[in-house]
Amino acid sequence: MDVLVFSENPHLAAELLSAGAGLAAASGGRAYSVEADSVRQGTHGNALLLRSEVPLLGDPALLAEAISAARKTKVAPVVLIGSTKTGRMVAGGLAVLDQLCVLSDVRDLRVDGGRLTGTRGVYAGKFNALVGGPLPSIALIPQGSYEPFSEPSGPVEEVRVTTGPPKVSREELRSSAKSSLDLRGAKVIVAAGRGLKAKEDLAIVQRLADALGGVIGASRPLSSDLGWLGEEYHIGLTGVYVHPDLYVAVGISGQIQHVAGIRDSKVIVAINRDKQAPIFQVSDYGVVGDLYEVVPALLRALGRP
Amino acid sequence: MKLFQTEHRRALRAFYGEGHAAFSTLLESLAGTLEAEVAPSSARFDADSGGISSARRRLFEAGLCRMPFDSHGGLSLPFGVYSLAMELVGAADAPTAMSLGIHNTVADGVFRYGSESQKKEVFEDLVSGKRLASFSLTEPSSGSDARAMSTTATKTGSSYRITGTKTFITNAGEADVYFVVARSEKGHSAFLVDGSAPGLSVGADIPKLGMRGSRTAEVRMDGCSVPAENLVGEDGRAFEYVKSMLSGSRIVMGSICVGIALAAYRKALHYATERKLFEKKLSDMQMTRERVADMRAGINSSRSMCLYASRIKETGEDYGSEAAQAKIIATETASRVCDQAIQLFGGYGYTNADVHRHWRDARLLTIGEGASEVLRLIVASMELGGAA
Amino acid sequence: MNIAVCVKHAVDEGELRADTSGRPQLQGALSKMGSFDRNAVEEAIRLKESNGGSVTVVCLGGADSKKTLKEALAMGCDKALAVASARALDALATSYYLSRALKKAGPFDVVLLAEGASDTYHGLVGPMLARWLGLPFLGFARKVEVNGSKVRTEAALEDRAESYETVLPAVISVVSEVNTPRYPTLLQIMQAAKKPMEEVTVESLTDEGAPKFGVTVGDVVVQSVDRKKLVFEGPAEETSRKLIDALRKEGLL
Ligand SMILES: Cc1cc2nc3c(=O)[nH]c(=O)nc-3n(C[C@H](O)[C@H](O)[C@H](O)COP(=O)(O)OP(=O)(O)OC[C@H]3O[C@@H](n4cnc5c(N)ncnc54)[C@H](O)[C@@H]3O)c2cc1C
Ligand SMILES: Cc1cc2nc3c(=O)[nH]c(=O)nc-3n(C[C@H](O)[C@H](O)[C@H](O)COP(=O)(O)OP(=O)(O)OC[C@H]3O[C@@H](n4cnc5c(N)ncnc54)[C@H](O)[C@@H]3O)c2cc1C
Repeated sequence: MDVLVFSENPHLAAELLSAGAGLAAASGGRAYSVEADSVRQGTHGNALLLRSEVPLLGDPALLAEAISAARKTKVAPVVLIGSTKTGRMVAGGLAVLDQLCVLSDVRDLRVDGGRLTGTRGVYAGKFNALVGGPLPSIALIPQGSYEPFSEPSGPVEEVRVTTGPPKVSREELRSSAKSSLDLRGAKVIVAAGRGLKAKEDLAIVQRLADALGGVIGASRPLSSDLGWLGEEYHIGLTGVYVHPDLYVAVGISGQIQHVAGIRDSKVIVAINRDKQAPIFQVSDYGVVGDLYEVVPALLRALGRP
Repeated sequence: MKLFQTEHRRALRAFYGEGHAAFSTLLESLAGTLEAEVAPSSARFDADSGGISSARRRLFEAGLCRMPFDSHGGLSLPFGVYSLAMELVGAADAPTAMSLGIHNTVADGVFRYGSESQKKEVFEDLVSGKRLASFSLTEPSSGSDARAMSTTATKTGSSYRITGTKTFITNAGEADVYFVVARSEKGHSAFLVDGSAPGLSVGADIPKLGMRGSRTAEVRMDGCSVPAENLVGEDGRAFEYVKSMLSGSRIVMGSICVGIALAAYRKALHYATERKLFEKKLSDMQMTRERVADMRAGINSSRSMCLYASRIKETGEDYGSEAAQAKIIATETASRVCDQAIQLFGGYGYTNADVHRHWRDARLLTIGEGASEVLRLIVASMELGGAA
Repeated sequence: MNIAVCVKHAVDEGELRADTSGRPQLQGALSKMGSFDRNAVEEAIRLKESNGGSVTVVCLGGADSKKTLKEALAMGCDKALAVASARALDALATSYYLSRALKKAGPFDVVLLAEGASDTYHGLVGPMLARWLGLPFLGFARKVEVNGSKVRTEAALEDRAESYETVLPAVISVVSEVNTPRYPTLLQIMQAAKKPMEEVTVESLTDEGAPKFGVTVGDVVVQSVDRKKLVFEGPAEETSRKLIDALRKEGLL
């Protein structure tokens, strides 16, 4: 059984390839990394290069059409797609075109008696559900669920596809050099929340992250509503799922949508001045206090004033 | 925390039968506004006198004050539905509820006894929230014994001159309209005094045990001149009006207390299921279970009594005694339930303002708008005859 | 402009509790309009307010969904369409029946919905719906501008912000930052009861193109978090020292 994997994010694509290779190996099949327009540098494993009259990358609707077209020649009962915003759009389009079930945000993926199964969080991550669909099916897989595929790059098969004309014209407004992968692979994350009074105060959170040898992240309001940090820093249900050894929440209340993204952390620490804040219920260690006092005190105690 | 719960839907069904579904939709939606825009600030209001003004504005916009009136912009909803709405407001934030409750007591007075032009000009502004009202009855030396007041209104030509001091006046300083009761030649009379009237001044905010988000102050009138058309109803009949206005208001204050009790109860219940001691959950201790049952029974009987008195009011029969009973039961139960909640929280209850503020808020209402003792006199006089 | 907005009546995930066996207590659980759906309704009403036209709110679900439809009507939608389904459907089937209902009730210039439902959060119905309807899809919009026959949106993806432009009709999904939803007044809620609400069943919308298979959901159990929940209180110097000691013992420093 062959497996196609796709993500516009190359790191995530490498993780999907591990997942795909695992599933394919059991049945003597192969996993192919779907590359659009051209093969990305540093690609691992087998690649399936899709070329069309029009550029595909960046247009989820066309990508869906191209993958659908490729599946006519490359029979692949399982398609793994990275759970990003683009990934969701590609998966949605492909599902309708090819009449496929989509399991979204699944972990512990398995093929079992002609079915693709996995587990996913539901109700903002409060519960886990076992989900499954008949083959062929698509699975959307969040970042960080698998180790990246590390085998050297293999042969490239090229497929010419015809797609419709693009319906949407697109313009890039801002691009970030940073990728969410920095957060996802991080062993230590210090995340800032709306407890911060001003954008400048991110500096002390950054200092704490530096002192602990980690990187900074944020709750959704900081990147979405306030725009203090890019989208790639936003942790939680609608952002990045992280799994560091140490997660420090600074001025974050701990709403379930945020907590959904940090459940897999080994140790969770919360700093919040409100003793009733729900974050303390999901933390290993909590400090009740004003972050503007506690963070500097921590820096002093760490010898990094 | 969800404010509108199954218990409310069931109460509406029990008291209103068929019509309950539409009322549930209405109150559930109001609860959504309260959860988003009022409840999250409630702890902050506890330390911020006057802090409730934006919450009050949101509820004006929602149309809360229009609920029980059947013309001039009113929504013609049953009084019981309005009182249940006030319970929800009380659960979200007690001082906001009290401030609006008293405001609407004045609106009720203008609606029922005011002239057509007062209804058009003042009442419509009150229910829309364009103007805020204050109810000015109590004086430094006359509280329960309001008839002993010393504020006077003297008629001179086409106006009245009012002189005297009112105290413990909710919304004082913020209000645009003061409903002032004064002694006149013909007995007692009520006036709508403009907040900017020359001769009217407001004292400093009076610090208090609870209900801290709302303002309370003295209102002084020194020869304050009020045009005769600002007289409400007939000269000399003010006490009749006030008695009737306060009866409705008592149901509302009772309902606010049900809300306060519910807020404290839910916090305590949650804590009891989390707190472990002697290798057990607090909620598994027999004495806790007994306490919880008492709190729950108290809350439900209070709400039922408020709705019962409301239903009688809706029929048009005299409901003064039932309103007094409802307020006695609901306010005294709320003080007890909030006290029990503190007890369940132990030291955290005594030290955490977010737990003890409910008790501090509830504590006012066995005193204000008719002290429990006075209300018992009313009930007893209905049973035994004799003066209230 | 003819606008449609699709909303979901969702279990209130914040209030959902587990029963003693760790399963969600769905019986009697609170439910409401999905959190992000309020933003979609608000955006639809704003589009109507600035471009004229009318808004039809569509909800596929059980009997409870009427509650959500009524709320959307109170916020300012003009009519409601309930697509009744006795059982829960997956994203593919949901989007299929919604597309059938929209085709029947339409044509629409704009179909709005939220980036995802607050209870299940798949984020798939939008792109699927666009595909069923054969329309362009503008996803994750945090800004929507209609200009004559064109629409332009801005979206924040994980690593970049983009703007999209297309010719109407189109399907647009919005994120919560797009606006602040209004709360209906009590009067609007009462008046909403008089606005038209139509009902169709999914059975009546089926044709040979209907999805034959669906995602099945097996056991749902609570995510158990066993955290130490040690909380330090006191002066910052003291609590921070305690925290550092604890992290040291964990081998994290
Ligand atoms: C469908 C849906 C999806 C969502 N997805 C996400 C998601 O993926 N990620 C996400 O993060 N959110 C998400 N949200 C939003 C989420 O519900 C919360 O609104 C958000 O997480 C709150 O962010 P916060 O904790 O930073 O802010 P707040 O909830 O405002 O909390 C701020 C905290 O800081 C504390 N504080 C304030 N001042 C100080 C001080 N001086 N010192 C110490 N502490 C202080 C306060 O006590 C408070 O607890 C989603 C919401 C919905 C409806
Ligand atoms: C925060 C706050 C807000 C208020 N807001 C307003 C307002 O907006 N407008 C307004 O007009 N007033 C307001 N009041 C005043 C309130 O209505 C009075 O405090 C109340 O009527 C009691 O009057 P008093 O304080 O003078 O006490 P008193 O009347 O002096 O009573 C003292 C005690 O004697 C008891 N007592 C009275 N009569 C009898 C009796 N016959 N037999 C036995 N015991 C009796 C009382 O119950 C009480 O326990 C407010 C008060 C407070 C504290």
